Amino acid sequence: MKLITNIKLAATIAFTHMRTRLKQTLIATAGVTFGITVFIFMVSFIQGSNDFVQAVAFEQSPHLRLYNEIQTAPANIIDRTHPGNINLVSHVKPKDILLNLKDGPQVVQALQQDPRVAAVSGAVSTQVFYRLGSSSINGTINGIRFEQENALFNLQAKLVEGSFKELATLPNSLVVGVGLARRLNVKTGDRLEVTTDKGNNFSVKVVGIFKTGLTDIDKQQSYASLHTVQRFLEVPVSYITDIKIKLHDMELAPAMLPELQAKYGVHGSDWKQDNSALLEGDALRKMIVYGVAVTILLVAGFGIFNILTMMIYEKMKDIAILKAMGFSDTDIRWIFLVQALMIGITGALMGLVFGFLAAYGISKMPYKSDVMITLDHLPVSFSAVYYVTGFTFGMLTTTLAGYLPSRKAARVDPITILRG
Amino acid sequence: MNLIEVRNINKYFYQPTKMQVLNNVDLDIEKGHFVSITGKSGSGKSTLLYLLSTMDTDFDGSIRINGEEMQGKRNRWLADFRNHHIGFVFQFHYLLPEFTALRNVMLPALKLARYTPAEIEHRAMDLLQLLGVEAQANKRASLLSGGQQQRVAIARALINEPLIIMGDEPTGNLDSQNAAIVFDLFRQLSSERGQTILTVTHDDDFARRSDKVIHLVDGRIAD
Repeated sequence: MKLITNIKLAATIAFTHMRTRLKQTLIATAGVTFGITVFIFMVSFIQGSNDFVQAVAFEQSPHLRLYNEIQTAPANIIDRTHPGNINLVSHVKPKDILLNLKDGPQVVQALQQDPRVAAVSGAVSTQVFYRLGSSSINGTINGIRFEQENALFNLQAKLVEGSFKELATLPNSLVVGVGLARRLNVKTGDRLEVTTDKGNNFSVKVVGIFKTGLTDIDKQQSYASLHTVQRFLEVPVSYITDIKIKLHDMELAPAMLPELQAKYGVHGSDWKQDNSALLEGDALRKMIVYGVAVTILLVAGFGIFNILTMMIYEKMKDIAILKAMGFSDTDIRWIFLVQALMIGITGALMGLVFGFLAAYGISKMPYKSDVMITLDHLPVSFSAVYYVTGFTFGMLTTTLAGYLPSRKAARVDPITILRG
Repeated sequence: MNLIEVRNINKYFYQPTKMQVLNNVDLDIEKGHFVSITGKSGSGKSTLLYLLSTMDTDFDGSIRINGEEMQGKRNRWLADFRNHHIGFVFQFHYLLPEFTALRNVMLPALKLARYTPAEIEHRAMDLLQLLGVEAQANKRASLLSGGQQQRVAIARALINEPLIIMGDEPTGNLDSQNAAIVFDLFRQLSSERGQTILTVTHDDDFARRSDKVIHLVDGRIAD
């Protein structure tokens, strides 16, 4: 109780000091406001861009992928037949294996029963040449069941013209990426030729064009029905090369991967491995934002430090007289700490408001990009976490900037001043 | 009864070289007395006052005020003790310049928090009236004349009804007319209210008219 009245009294003295030095106080507050504004603005904008890029990339990336890969055998046969000998086999060649997943359709069915799994799609993907006239472009064809694949990647939303439905009903039909269509100069209804890596040629009809926003995919990928691609490859209907899985909780993916690999004897990867460069970039950009914000706040903190230190030199007499009246060192410390805290709280709150306004302002700015096709305004994140962080940062810096001069004020020796 | 008992005080300055300022000082001050400390400059009279003020804690020996030993007490305790029992009047008036005269008088009482702020304001106004500066109550302290400021400072020293009022040359910076007013005030407080008053002065006239004079020569009390 006594403590509270003491702090209250210190606060009224602090307010009188601040009122008589309104200009200095406002400049110090503006410094903090500016620091927090820049922090909120930058972190919102950068996080918004990160979120957008991630959303585009992750929409095309399943949480888990199961597939087979050509690999060199880890041990050779001669070691098994002559154990204990020193066996040298030079230049072991990788074994040619079938890239299909064993019992693929059964695995897909089993995974559909797993409660952690949101959607599963079995697919055949293969390298082909798209040929029209004299030009030939290489790329991949994904053989899919449209309903399954659509549940994972929301393909329907990416359709620019034509329809995915015809894939199932019309044999040898393709939905091609928008970049690929432009390169081949084809549109819905046109025909082109596809050559597989075994040298077989098929005439196919374009029934639709899609656009994901990721240039790498749009300029070389196409979708066909599972059966069509299986026919191109001359393989049975049980042949699938990829199982793509979407989970209810994507964070479970790294833990689930080894389990599935062991269970079904296949290779695989999760979304973190597939997008490791993107995720690393996010982390680095965030570090830059925090670095810049901390620097600005430190400068603002120095401003507060300077103003309070100067005020303490001006107020030496007042401090001495307050001490003679019976104000303790702690009371004196509070007088100056309260000033720093007031500057900090006001500056930080105003910074949050201005930061929000600036972020809101640019989120309304139209923005067109050839790379990010689905973007029409600048992407901005309005997560509350950054506002809490910004406020905490601001308070920490100003408290520290106020604490050091206030300690100095508390140590003023009244006698040297009162004796003149 | 002795309000202040000083036993065997030694005090040294260490800057620029070690020097003894007070040498085995013993003294007693009775309650209700008006005491002057005199001496040439450098005789240690101000040093003695600031030791008694409890603001200077670096000394050998014993100072008892109102039965309490001052040696070895912590800053917060001493600040609280000053707040309760000691009022100061300085040569330079040392009001807080940004506050009104009334607010300056109220501050020590607000710190003490014995009364509500409304009562404190009422008591402060009474004191300003007693000292004849009630018209200046709501002016900022920096706008008052020297004599007015000193009277406000005396009101501030009185607000917590302290045991002792200490003055460091309280009339030293005033013209003779204002100095006479301030002296008469002290005299009146001492005789009518039984207020103990302890001042350092080099004004012989002032000293001669007090109850007791402590004369210091080279850090010793001269008889």
